[in-house]
Order: sequence, then structure tokens, then C-alpha cells
Amino acid sequence: MAGVGIVLTVLGAWILVRLGPSGEATFSATSQAPGVIVISSDVLNSVDVAVRVTATRHDGGAVWLAVAPSTDARAVLATSAVSTISDVRYPAGALDLRASGAGALTDISTADVWRRSANGAGSARLLVDQGRGPETVVVTSGDATALRDVTMTLTWADRTWFFEALAAAMIGAVIAAFALNDLWQGRVVADQGDAVGISPPQVTK
Amino acid sequence: MTRGLRAIGVGVVTVMFVTGCGAARALLGIHEAPKANAASAPLTVDQATRILTRELTAAFRGETMTGAVSRAALEAAYTGEGLRAQSARVKLASVQPAVAHSSLLAPQRTELLAVSRGFGFPRFIIAQTVAVAGSLPILYLLTCPDAATPYRIAMSAQMVPPATVKPFDPLSRGSSLVNDGTGLVVAPLGLLKAYAASMAFPAKSAISPSFAADSFSGQVRDGAASVAKAVAAQATFSQVHKVVTNSAYAVRQAGGDALVFGVIERTDFFAVKPGQIVNTAANKAFVLLTGRKTVSKAAAITTLELLVFAVPRSTGPTTLVAAREQVVAGSGS
Repeated sequence: MAGVGIVLTVLGAWILVRLGPSGEATFSATSQAPGVIVISSDVLNSVDVAVRVTATRHDGGAVWLAVAPSTDARAVLATSAVSTISDVRYPAGALDLRASGAGALTDISTADVWRRSANGAGSARLLVDQGRGPETVVVTSGDATALRDVTMTLTWADRTWFFEALAAAMIGAVIAAFALNDLWQGRVVADQGDAVGISPPQVTK
Repeated sequence: MTRGLRAIGVGVVTVMFVTGCGAARALLGIHEAPKANAASAPLTVDQATRILTRELTAAFRGETMTGAVSRAALEAAYTGEGLRAQSARVKLASVQPAVAHSSLLAPQRTELLAVSRGFGFPRFIIAQTVAVAGSLPILYLLTCPDAATPYRIAMSAQMVPPATVKPFDPLSRGSSLVNDGTGLVVAPLGLLKAYAASMAFPAKSAISPSFAADSFSGQVRDGAASVAKAVAAQATFSQVHKVVTNSAYAVRQAGGDALVFGVIERTDFFAVKPGQIVNTAANKAFVLLTGRKTVSKAAAITTLELLVFAVPRSTGPTTLVAAREQVVAGSGS
């Protein structure tokens, strides 16, 4: 039981440090495959917390990212070459990328399916709120040029996660304290028993 | 602590730990991505408003600019018969006063009335503009054929007094397309065909009208009769009305009725009598469209009639809500 308490304390404290007071979990990956980068609804809408998506091009070129209903995003991208972010890895902080399709991309920024969009030179950031899922984020260069060497960063922030980790650490500490105290008391009683000549009961067959 | 209490304690902690791992996902709120809600609108109100503003701005530029800039703006604003009508309107601006009175050129209040429901295509936006100066409101139908194509104005028409538009379902839920006429007193295409047939000149045999009498069709019929009379000495006049394929859009309203948009193409035929030469110089639009100031055999003028009807769900006549006509083409020999 003391071990469980200690494990809970260490785990809670470690998560506490990683999340910080703002309860921020960050995941990133760099896509080398040419084409469009897509963040599927399985990742984007897996938590009822807004997700901040940041795309950074290492060559400093234009970045355009937008969010749309998943069916519309799929229809617009059709058979274009895409790298899909399909899963997140915690605590590694990594993102799983899966390449598919091989077709050329047309300029999709003129379509009216995009609920929100953002663009920038070198980097762009989009805050995707929840409640209209399933949605998909698409990252392109803003025209038909294929993206390459782009780092994607996804950040979820929820202060309740910080307090949950804090609670876990504290509960673990309390459990560990009680358990260690219990062990300590048991040893003291045993030592006192030895000192007054009380021997453990003998088992007879 | 007794052995029993210790065992219970270990058990409780073990259960907490095991279930805690399973509950961690729930605790963090991690869940499967939600399924698409087919009974919701694919556009937010902000999106629809942005699209509407963009398209009306492009339409304004199309009317106020000239040359290639005007053409590009019109193509960015309109589609289909809407583009055909508006391009002709701009082309004929010098001989027709229509553009000078365009509601787009006056300060106006724009109201978003309806957006489509579900994630299928085509999608639509219905809007209304009301000029501050007090001219009649204009109804707009914007359509989107697929995910990759932006919304464009498919048609616009000025409301016919004293018509009003009944409310649609909330914008967050969207409104359904009922192009097949399900649950309506008359199918949209059937209505448009009947309306087109009722305006033919010479008038055809009696058609049971499924719509209430209105000023627009009355003016068209009266106009045809007076033209026929005016040219009787030199030519034989006839007029044909034909529903433009795929132009009908019927949108369900909150009460179960529907607003039906449609385009009818009217062709005025002039069969010039043998030996006659008709001077067409007075018809500046015809001259501008055909380059001919006289005709000796035949002439034709094509006009688009952009119409909006209120169609009840059960009983009662269909009513014309908005109408507009625009000469788009001509030919002569």
C-alpha cells in the first residue's frame, strides 16, 4: 500500500510538473512527406477542450490552416497527398503521422467549407473550439504548392487537469504516509514484543 | 491495524488504482470523436454572414466597375442564370436605367434568412436586403454545388407587395431542401411549368391555376398583347416561356410551407411578314445585343424571369413573392 501511495505521489507530481499551473499538454511532430497535413477528428475532437494548432514551416514559407467538417475536408482533399495526424503519444509528447494519397493539390483555400482559418509567413496558429465535431484541420501553403518539413504542435490546456494531478499526488502522499506509519508502528510493536520475551505463537501439526 | 482492516485497505486501494487507470480517460474527458449531426447546419452564422457579405460586395463591384474587373467581380458573385442575368444587366446599363436604380448601390440592411441543413450538396443560403431608402426588399438565393466550389448568387428578385416571407427553421439547425415537393401542395417544377404555360402568348387553352393571380404575370401578358398589337402590321408576335433546367430550389419553412426559387426563360418571337423591313433602332437593348437596326425575316429576344413563390404545405394557392426580369439575348435576320 505504501508503494501504491508513493507511485501515485510520484506520478501525480510528475504530471503536475509537466502540465504546469495552466494544465497545458503539448504534442508535436515534424512532417517531411510532401503534401497537405491533416489533423483528424479522432485527435482534434477527442477532448472537450479547445486545441491550439500551430504549424511552422522551416523554410519560412506561407502557411495556411483551416478547420472544416470532416466530410467536407475529405471531399475537398479527395486523393491529394496528405500526412494525417491520427494519434497522440503521452507522455512522449509526440504525434503519429500517417502518409496517404498521391494526387496533386489544388488551391482549396477558396472553398466555403472552412469554419475558421489562419495564415502567416513561416508559422500560423489556429484555436479550434469544440462543439461542432467531427471536424478536421487542414494545413497547406495557401495555394497548390506542397508542404514539406513542417512542424505541427497541438496544445490542449485545461486547469482542471493540473488540479486533478495535484489531488492525485496529495492522495498518494496521504496513503503513503498512513501506510508507512502503519509499517513503522507494526515494527515498533514487534520490537517491543521481542524485548519482553513474547514469542510468536507456534503452529503445531 | 488488524489484519482484516489491512486487507480491506489494500483491496480498496487496489480497486481504486485499477479503476482509476480505466477512469483516467473519463477523468480527462477523452472520448471518441462525435458523429456528424445530419440535423445541423454545415455553416455557422458567422460563416454564412461572411459569405453573404463577400458575395454582395463582389456584386456591387461588378455593377460599379467596368471591363475585365467588372466581369471578374460578376463571376465571383454570381453563378448560372444569376450570372447570365447580371452580366446582361451590366452590358445593357447604358441603354437601360436598371443599374442606376440597383439596390446594391444604395445603403441597405442585410438579413440572413436561412441556410441549408445537413452535409449534402447542393447547399444554399437565403438572404434578404432592405434598402434604407425604402425601396422593396430583395431576396437572394446563394448556392454551393460541392465542397470545393464557393457559394455564388444563383438568383435575386425584388419582392412583390404585399408579399412577406414566412420564417425558416433556426439558422443553427438549417432548413431542408424539398425540391421533390414532398409535403407540399404542388411540386416546385410542376408549379413553374404551370406558371410558364399560363403566360404563353397567344394564350393556350385553360390551365387550372395552382397559384394566385399576381401583378407580374399580369404585366407580362398585357405587355405581350400590346406588343403583338403594335407590330401587327409588319410582324407576327408570339411568346414562349420555358422553365430553366435545374433552376428550381424549394426550401422548407418552419411552418411546413416552402419558398420556391425558379427561373423561366421567355422568348419573344417576331416573324416579319413578307416584304416588310422592321426598324428596330428604337429598341436600344436589341440593337446592343444583336448589332442590327433592321430585320426583314425574324427576330427573337430572350428574357430571364427570376421568380420566388410561397408554396403552402396542404391547401391554398401558391403565391408569387418576388420577381425580376432581365433581357439577356437577342437575334435577328
